Amino acid sequence: MSRAAPSHPVELARPAAPVRRVLRLGTLSAVVAALSGLLLLGVSGWFLTGAAIAGASGLLAVQAFNYLIPSAAIRLLAILRTVSRYGERMLSHKAALTAMADLRSRLFRLLAAQDTRHAPDVSAGEASARLIGDIESLEDLIVRQPTRPGSLAAALAGVALAALSGWFPALLLAGLLVVFPFAVTALSRRLTAAPARDAAEALGELRARYVDMAQARAEIAAYGLVETVLDELAEPIARLDAARQALFRAEAGVAAFQLLYGALAAIAVLATASGGPALAALGLLAATAAIEALAAISRTALRQARVEEGLRRLESLLDLAEQPLPAAPSEPPLAAPLRLGAHDVAPGSHIALLGTSGSGKTLALEALAGLRASKAPIWVDDAPLAECAEETFRGQFALSPQDAPLLAGSIADNLRLARPGITEDAMHAALAVTCLDERIARLPAGLHTMLGEDGAPLSGGERKRLSLARALLAERPWLLLDEPTEGLDGATERELVRRLGDWLKSTGTGLVLVSHRPHPLSLAQHSLPIDALTRA
Amino acid sequence: MKPKRAGQFWALDILGAALFSWGISGGVEALVAGTALSAWLACLAGGALLRASSVLLVHHFAMPGAQIGANLWRRAAMSRLLGGRLPAPVSAGTSAALAIDHVQAIEEHGARFQPARVSAVVGPLLAIGLIALASWFSALILLATLLPFVVGMIFAGTAARRASERQLDALAALSGLFVDRVRHLPLIRHFGAQARIARQVEDATHGVATRTVAVLRAAFLSSAVLEFFAAIAVALVAIYCGFALLGLLPFPPPEPLTLGRAFFALAMAPEVYLPMRRLAAAYHEKQMGEAAESALADFAPGQDEAEEASSTTSAAPSPFDGLVVDGLILTWPPVCIGPVDLRLPRTGIVALSGPSGSGKTSTLAAIAGQIEVPSGRITTFAGHPLDPADVAWAAQRPLLLPGTLRRNLALAAPEACDAAVLVAARRVGLGPLLEKRGGLDLVVDHKGSGLSGGERRRIGLARALLSGRPLLLCDEPTADLDAASAAQIVAVLQELARERALLVATHDETVRAIAQQEIAL
Repeated sequence: MSRAAPSHPVELARPAAPVRRVLRLGTLSAVVAALSGLLLLGVSGWFLTGAAIAGASGLLAVQAFNYLIPSAAIRLLAILRTVSRYGERMLSHKAALTAMADLRSRLFRLLAAQDTRHAPDVSAGEASARLIGDIESLEDLIVRQPTRPGSLAAALAGVALAALSGWFPALLLAGLLVVFPFAVTALSRRLTAAPARDAAEALGELRARYVDMAQARAEIAAYGLVETVLDELAEPIARLDAARQALFRAEAGVAAFQLLYGALAAIAVLATASGGPALAALGLLAATAAIEALAAISRTALRQARVEEGLRRLESLLDLAEQPLPAAPSEPPLAAPLRLGAHDVAPGSHIALLGTSGSGKTLALEALAGLRASKAPIWVDDAPLAECAEETFRGQFALSPQDAPLLAGSIADNLRLARPGITEDAMHAALAVTCLDERIARLPAGLHTMLGEDGAPLSGGERKRLSLARALLAERPWLLLDEPTEGLDGATERELVRRLGDWLKSTGTGLVLVSHRPHPLSLAQHSLPIDALTRA
Repeated sequence: MKPKRAGQFWALDILGAALFSWGISGGVEALVAGTALSAWLACLAGGALLRASSVLLVHHFAMPGAQIGANLWRRAAMSRLLGGRLPAPVSAGTSAALAIDHVQAIEEHGARFQPARVSAVVGPLLAIGLIALASWFSALILLATLLPFVVGMIFAGTAARRASERQLDALAALSGLFVDRVRHLPLIRHFGAQARIARQVEDATHGVATRTVAVLRAAFLSSAVLEFFAAIAVALVAIYCGFALLGLLPFPPPEPLTLGRAFFALAMAPEVYLPMRRLAAAYHEKQMGEAAESALADFAPGQDEAEEASSTTSAAPSPFDGLVVDGLILTWPPVCIGPVDLRLPRTGIVALSGPSGSGKTSTLAAIAGQIEVPSGRITTFAGHPLDPADVAWAAQRPLLLPGTLRRNLALAAPEACDAAVLVAARRVGLGPLLEKRGGLDLVVDHKGSGLSGGERRRIGLARALLSGRPLLLCDEPTADLDAASAAQIVAVLQELARERALLVATHDETVRAIAQQEIAL
């Protein structure tokens, strides 16, 4: 019942109207389930005791005892409990899953609308995996929402039934029920806070160290260092194991507390009941059932630490401004003149950036593509890079990066990324320029071939050319190419350079090129040492 | 203690429940008779204490037991993933998922499912036996409802499993899409495709939700079956007992029933089903644990020792007199690398070039004997198989372990004396670092804080030198270095090539310029 959670992300996790409707139905089911479970036990006890007393008092009493209503009620309650419990689970999970899908879409839109130059970096595997994990922990919050009203209803009904056996037992039970959530939350916080933190830290450290080692696998295998590195990992593993043991035992501690608390309630009601044996039996069983119905609260309390952790991390994303996603411009913008250092580069001209590896050529291209903030002395349309709007980069430049990143999906999906409304004919034409058309025609599924992780089944050089074709399809005034022909044999390279040259000429597209190979450099009319851009 | 044995403590839970039920029935009888309650209240307290200690004991012993099992898996998986020969390269992320996340799923399976399984078999029968002591007819009713219940569970469980298996692949692909698109956000923004991809992501995430709901429906249905039978059983016992007490049974009473006995039977009836509900609650852990075990099947504990034993007997080592690679082809669908042919004499440099992702590192790993070779031969000039102990590896991002610089330099030759370590370190250009930062006692952490990329690279080279192995494989020795450091490294490589064989994977033209031969991938 902690209200300590930060307010923003709860807002973020607040489900949309249709989901809230499902949640309300789920809550109703939860209440029905909790009540029917409680009544089932209470009525059974009352019926049994009443029957025994009537049976013992002779025939007249037996005939006066109305057994039809309680026995029918017992059967009805049994069915009602089953159906409503199923409804509760189904509806609360459906609501939670739909809400999380909405949240993921919303977060994606939020992140997609950011400017890459200043956006939080979630491209690394760890960061994106954590984003998923954090959203999943929020799922818990929604699944458990209907259980609270259910528990509350059961507690109230328990007190009402106990009141039939006397006002004093009812008062005692009410007191115990009010204290329970606070007691169980405090206890689980006490038992889980430290081990939950230790487990998260140890797991984080183990993962980080292990990933380091997995990246150094070649050395470990070559020099037979497995035992040495496993010794290094022994310490975080031992800490993780100890923390997980403590957490697992904490669960048992909370469960044991709840069992004892339930017994205390039963004892209190039984010892103070004054309304006759039948109603005392009813009150006694109702008290046990009411405490049991509050179990949902202790389960929530046990998971609270994890949920709060997730909320806190998502909070940082929420500070991002929500803005509409940019629509594709209807008219392609006019080509802008560039100024690189002291060099003016007119629209449509072809220029190569020269320098040794590691001298910053790739960084300069990425700055032009709007992928990173840069203080380099570069002007687009007489505006320094830092002052250029995102739309400028998107309107002017199409990049084929050095590592040729490809989306998981089909070849066509990757080409379609370039701009809306690309036809298959246009794709084939672009692939022909990059000498990839024949290779793709040979694939059984052609353009619809699904690419695996790392672009398989395409080789490194083929991925490069697919990325190049995508940049061509964007039809922007400037093409930014980073080592476009790396990994190609001489003949293909010459052919690609020839076709690319023709394409540039026929479309009047400008080119900024980075390459250390002589053939592609022949495309450039001017060259510029990279020092002119990095020295500033 | 094995997790299964820990599950036996759940029997204590049934005994506690019986004591508690006895307290309830005795208490109600005492109210009817107007006698003292205190002994029955003590039974209630005692029963609850027994139940509480049972849950504490199960949890106390189950987790350490499960961790012993999980640690065997972890050790086997880590040994193989970090140091064994693999059928195909494994990315660091996948490697961590296997060695850490999957092992955790196995641990959960051991700690939660195994004890629950033991109690699900023994628990119901024990509870029914105890009920039979009070009312054998009630016990019979419960036993009779238990049978259709078990059959129903098996059917519902099988249906649920089939449904979830069908959905798992689709689910993985769809959730993968979200991660993939989040990772490629810079690219998506660059092409102005945010709105289009956002719609795609929206469809995919809602698809995941709809499919998951379908999986859950099957699972919840099976637990609804469980609860329905439990509720019906309790209702039947209550009605039988009530009518028996009233003397209104439509058949001759099978047993003399008192209120106390009837109440005991009623209070114990839900306990018959509790162990199975516990088992159903651990069903998720069971599924995840079994999936993890099948993913880790190749790394089963005990398997790598057997493999090592077989590989050491394969060939007697012969002196290294040059490297011959003949028609080497690496395939793990859909990747295909090669064929690679090369001859590298006892001294000199051969460069292996090609863009990133073209398989340079994998080729080196295959030569070092770290990846299985489906086709082609890797031998010495004399035609003997290459001994992996002749191969040194200078990594792009060398391994650093916490400790001194001395420890890190001498990882591959722990017995080397300080003088030898210093000579190797100076040879690769670590002299300035040694002078500035306190010599070999410089403290290094596993992140290499305070060391530049170039210095790390040199530590890897010095380590390879110290190992004294005649064949040196270098992975991208100059990548991401500034021009001056790169030039120094190239000079070191050139010098080393006068006394040993260097195979260098690189796409740097300055390195390729000093090679006697270049193999393009």
